[in-house]
Amino acid sequence: MSPETFRLNRRSFLVGSVLFAGGAALAGCTSDPLNKNAGAASGAKVTLQQWYHAYGESGTQQAVQRYAQEFTKANPDIAINVSWIAGDYETKLNSAMLTAQAPDLFELGDFRYQNVKNGLLAPLDDVVDPVKADFSPAALDTVTVDGKIYGVKMIDDVMMLYYRKSALQAAGVQPPQTFAELLDATRKLNTGKQKGLYVGTDGVGEAATLLLWSSGGDFFDSSGKKVAFASPEAIAAIGGLKQLHDTGGLLQGYPTDWSDPGAFANGATAMQWGGLWSLPDIKKALGDDFGVIAWPKFGDTGKQVARVGGWYQLANAKSAHLDAVKQFINWLWIKNADLQKDWCVKYGFHIPARKPVAAQTTEFSSGPAKDAVTISQQNGKSYSGLWNKASATLFLQAATKIANGQADPAAELGDAAKKAQAEVDKQLA
Amino acid sequence: MTAVMEKAPAVRVVAKRRRRRDWRAIGAFTVLTGPVVLGLGLFKYVAIAWSFLLSFNDARGTITIGHWIGFDNYAFLLGDDAFRTSLTTIALFTVFIVPITFVASLGLAVLVNSIRRGKAFFRTVFLIPAAVSYVVAALVWKMALFNGLPSGVANVLGGLFGADPVPWLSETSPPVYWVAVVTLRLWLQVGLYMILFLAGLKAISPSLYEAGELDGTTKWQAFRYITLPQLRNTSVAVLLLILIAAFQAFDEFYNLFGTGLSGTATAPVKPPLVYLYDSALGDQNYGVGSAGAFLLTVLIVVITLLQGRFVGFGKKD
Repeated sequence: MSPETFRLNRRSFLVGSVLFAGGAALAGCTSDPLNKNAGAASGAKVTLQQWYHAYGESGTQQAVQRYAQEFTKANPDIAINVSWIAGDYETKLNSAMLTAQAPDLFELGDFRYQNVKNGLLAPLDDVVDPVKADFSPAALDTVTVDGKIYGVKMIDDVMMLYYRKSALQAAGVQPPQTFAELLDATRKLNTGKQKGLYVGTDGVGEAATLLLWSSGGDFFDSSGKKVAFASPEAIAAIGGLKQLHDTGGLLQGYPTDWSDPGAFANGATAMQWGGLWSLPDIKKALGDDFGVIAWPKFGDTGKQVARVGGWYQLANAKSAHLDAVKQFINWLWIKNADLQKDWCVKYGFHIPARKPVAAQTTEFSSGPAKDAVTISQQNGKSYSGLWNKASATLFLQAATKIANGQADPAAELGDAAKKAQAEVDKQLA
Repeated sequence: MTAVMEKAPAVRVVAKRRRRRDWRAIGAFTVLTGPVVLGLGLFKYVAIAWSFLLSFNDARGTITIGHWIGFDNYAFLLGDDAFRTSLTTIALFTVFIVPITFVASLGLAVLVNSIRRGKAFFRTVFLIPAAVSYVVAALVWKMALFNGLPSGVANVLGGLFGADPVPWLSETSPPVYWVAVVTLRLWLQVGLYMILFLAGLKAISPSLYEAGELDGTTKWQAFRYITLPQLRNTSVAVLLLILIAAFQAFDEFYNLFGTGLSGTATAPVKPPLVYLYDSALGDQNYGVGSAGAFLLTVLIVVITLLQGRFVGFGKKD
């Protein structure tokens, strides 16, 4: 090959690659990275983008895709494209909501007032109103802002205290009803190899919130707008974290967090704060050797509590196909009781949010599952929509310092409450 | 005269050709650098400028500009003890981690360079951790090495000396979580800087050592008066890189102390980047997040300039 032809070849190679790269870039601009038109092939006029967080139980992703397909079968005009979002779901969702790639409808665990204030959510009154009585008051109150309902509760997840019957028997303690009994049980159940209580890998988890609630306190006062976690009663209750740590029976640093049944099912602890979703795994591991109770009451004026979380279906106010979104939400979470049951008990374990559907679900008719429903109804409590991440961070930071004995509870919580109030005021402004 | 007349057209031709060639060069330059410049401009500089504007706005749950509040975000951050604590934390962390990483990687490089056999083997062994992601390493540290169970590796080792199991990542008195943080960073970084030092060592002329030997230097003297001065440029560059990396610490703190459910709220220690991540992405307060990013940038620039002044970055030998 002569040098001349070589140079020509090199030039044509360069030109070719530039053209190729340019073409690829152009193709990238016009292509469809999020597969927005997935439904176009099937002939649907509208394709809705729906987001779920990645549920851990196997079969869940296939299930929501199946629901979407069944809906399209019944409504050929509307296709649903499901995105399964792994990792820090809420952060990813929050970022996406500011862009054109925002989903038309999505689920959210902790409802945030801020989203309504920022005009991100569409009211769903026309969907919920006909069946309003089916939902618990808490499930409606949380998502009601200025008289409008912004979410449909899909599932209830109650969180409660699991205890190992045989371990309690061996140590001669009863399932704790008061905080004093909880301290005593945590101390006595600690055998070195098996610790007494697990509330989270950081030794705090939800315990600070539960102590606050179980003393009769709350994050906000009765007006719902004044931060109240630094009242004298609340300070005494949250100070209980230090007492729990001082028992020496608190398990810390377990590789999986409290939301996973691992520590309890593997016998690393005799009691664990956990979710209803863990119940099938715990049953598989321990058989009948476990029971559930609410978090014990703190002091004489307190009450036993359990946290009721769960997931809400929400609609994007800026969606171009709001009617189709409502039609789908109505079909899936109101009309279709069979799919709601399927979603709640076939993969994980959740209580259907609508009472008539829950009543039909036979899985909750006996044993600890039945107790869980009772706890959820009698002791259940949820976060206020005003309680946002900034306030929660302030509260948990203070609680962590108190738990480790690094700070005076009154000063630390007073300071955190002042800052949290500033956050809340800004939200309301 | 005639010679000049004859030459003129030739000059014109040359000039013409040169100009044509210049155009082609400019064209090629544009085509080849254009996409990068455009991409950088669009995705970096526009974003940075936008973020700068955002830092003077009350931007909660939005990235649109319009709600101007002057320096309020900066004032909020400087007045917030959590942010100030995160700055002191990172300063302390830097004061410790920079010399340790520097000495460890220089020491390893000198050792690996001095052995006769298996140089390539050891070089590879020490470099491999640098290829591991911070996230993966942090999970290994958290779940296997430093978990709170009696069966965790650190607790088993401690048990050999009669120590009780410790929840390494949440114990604050004494703050043993630093053991996990520092060992993790050293394991990941030392190999990379060792390679840079090895390259520097290779560039030192053996004749210097031979001359030293003739004059009867000891090993320490050779290191002190030949190796170290010859490595000055490498050392300064490595110091700078370690310093910036320390100030930008995020991954290991986020992954070691984050619980997924409460994020990093219960972390015993929070560097500025984790604080800003929580403000901007966790709580969607993009104004405060942007302001904090610029404060941190100013801090890094100032410290780097100071360091350059004292150590002499870019000075001629």
